[in-house]
Amino acid sequence: MAQSRERETMTEHPPSPEVGAPIIETRGLYKHYANIRALEEVDLDVKPGVTGLIGANGAGKTTLIRLVLGLIRPTYGEVSVFGTPVAEDPAGLRERIGYMPEGKCLPLDQTAADFVAYAAELGGIPPVEARRRASETLFLVGLHEERFRYLGDFSTGMQQRVKLAQSIVHDPELVLLDEPASGLDPAGRDQMLELIARFREFGMNVLFSSHILDDIERTCDWVVMLDAGRMIHSAPLDPPGEGDRLSVEVFGDPGALVDALTRRGVSATVDGTVVTVVTQSEDAFTLMRDALESSGSSVRRLGTSLSRLEDVLVAAAREANG
Amino acid sequence: MADSRETNRDQAIIVDRGYRHYEGPRTGRRGAVRAIVKEGFRRVMGLRRKAKRKLLPWTLITVALASVVILVAITWATSQIPTSEGPADLVPRYRGYFDFISVVALLFAAYAGAQLLIPDRSEGVLNVYFSRPLALRHYLAGKALAYAAVILSFWLVPQLLLHLGLAALSREGFLSYLGRTTDILWQVPLAALAYFVLHASLIFLTSSFINRVGGAAAAFLVGSLGLNLVALFFQEAADNTPGSRWAALLATEQHPRYVRDWIFGVHDSAVWLPAQAGFGPGASLAVVVGLAAVSAALVGWRYRRLT
Repeated sequence: MAQSRERETMTEHPPSPEVGAPIIETRGLYKHYANIRALEEVDLDVKPGVTGLIGANGAGKTTLIRLVLGLIRPTYGEVSVFGTPVAEDPAGLRERIGYMPEGKCLPLDQTAADFVAYAAELGGIPPVEARRRASETLFLVGLHEERFRYLGDFSTGMQQRVKLAQSIVHDPELVLLDEPASGLDPAGRDQMLELIARFREFGMNVLFSSHILDDIERTCDWVVMLDAGRMIHSAPLDPPGEGDRLSVEVFGDPGALVDALTRRGVSATVDGTVVTVVTQSEDAFTLMRDALESSGSSVRRLGTSLSRLEDVLVAAAREANG
Repeated sequence: MADSRETNRDQAIIVDRGYRHYEGPRTGRRGAVRAIVKEGFRRVMGLRRKAKRKLLPWTLITVALASVVILVAITWATSQIPTSEGPADLVPRYRGYFDFISVVALLFAAYAGAQLLIPDRSEGVLNVYFSRPLALRHYLAGKALAYAAVILSFWLVPQLLLHLGLAALSREGFLSYLGRTTDILWQVPLAALAYFVLHASLIFLTSSFINRVGGAAAAFLVGSLGLNLVALFFQEAADNTPGSRWAALLATEQHPRYVRDWIFGVHDSAVWLPAQAGFGPGASLAVVVGLAAVSAALVGWRYRRLT
């Protein structure tokens, strides 16, 4: 008899971002600290799914997360989570929310298992179940073997995983992740982002702050951009109908390449020597390869490096700044 | 058949455990506070920590327990010597035990309080606490209860052993001794409570404003002893200065002792500075309670600013 275990994952997916009611709503939200305007008139609806919160350092991302948690009060305006104003019962709402802070938050003299179990108990899980869940959650984040080691002996990547584990161990419906991949090497970053992307299949909604576009693009369904405390963009990350996008920088005049693309029925945009195509019907790489071959153009650089998100956000920032 | 089973077992692998949702009951804020108390007790005692974290608390506890053994041994030894005074007159007992280990208790109180509050701040763990269904008052109440559990255990467990030891040595018999000394059962805990309230007030205050365990513990010790010296200075050197008698109330470390003597019905307490300045034990009790109120307000204010 096979002894493989059945998956215990509940495969209940959250509603798609387009149809679900907002998980987080802010209306006319302002937060001022003395002379600093951390947030200015933010009207935001965070839909179910994985939402990226992007902005430069100091844009107001952490302030917004702390307002959602009810740890600070808005100067003006209102924040609601799951349809309930945070001001009404902040502590009660936090039972349904997980939070991974950006900075340090781990007691270095405790083992990972003890700390995550403690975090579960603080989240309302009874002690015996808390230990069981701590073990399972640490397994999930890839720290099963190391769970009885002291946190002070962990690498930065392992500590980030423990921080992530404590944020979900009490089974929250909404997880707030503040720069979860900061301080990680590329491999660690990949693993962290893959893990966060899986939260979707666990039925968790995620608000994920980062100042790295690539992290948001790889993980999120929806993106919100803050700039100097103002929300300047909020939209689905991958609008339906928009297909693959590829940019190629060529040596010399790109005209021949543009002609070759036009003959294939694809419109291209040109910015200097950079030619960009967006195609819904066929693989952009195959299309570009054929066009390059027929036009005889020499490639200097090719890739998806100039992302759609970057373009969108740069345009939004330009518009917001006049 | 057996071969087939072995083959299957060899091939079985855990691909993914996935994630299990929690559908059971939640303990709410009460459970969270209970967790803080339990974890605070473990932290102070160094339980589930590396050996070096156990060294100081368990050394102090060992000294406290060894003191009981010494007292019981001395009681037994003196009972063997024919003398006009009974052993009770020669050997410190319940009330005297508080003084007998006062330095050790002060060190333990300093270490425990600083260890309970400071690492949460210096290691950023407050971020985790306050992302849970806890308000600041629940967090501080949990810490105060953890401190009470640790400090009262430190006082009461040795006193209990002392009580049993003295009962065992009693000439009147174990049970008769226990029956005759029932007052101890409320006097000792009440006196320990006075010590706890004073020490908690002062160490929580220093630990709220100082970010190093050693620094806060040192500030607590220097403050406690320093205030006694200031009070003594005014008592001795500035005796004729108007209002100098009020300085006797600065002798914080003497207030729980004065209150303790009151609880034990000892009226010859002229050794304590507040008594010498003409204050009754009620004034010392008022100072202890007042300090607790001021400390609670300041600690709350400090943490509100921090969070």
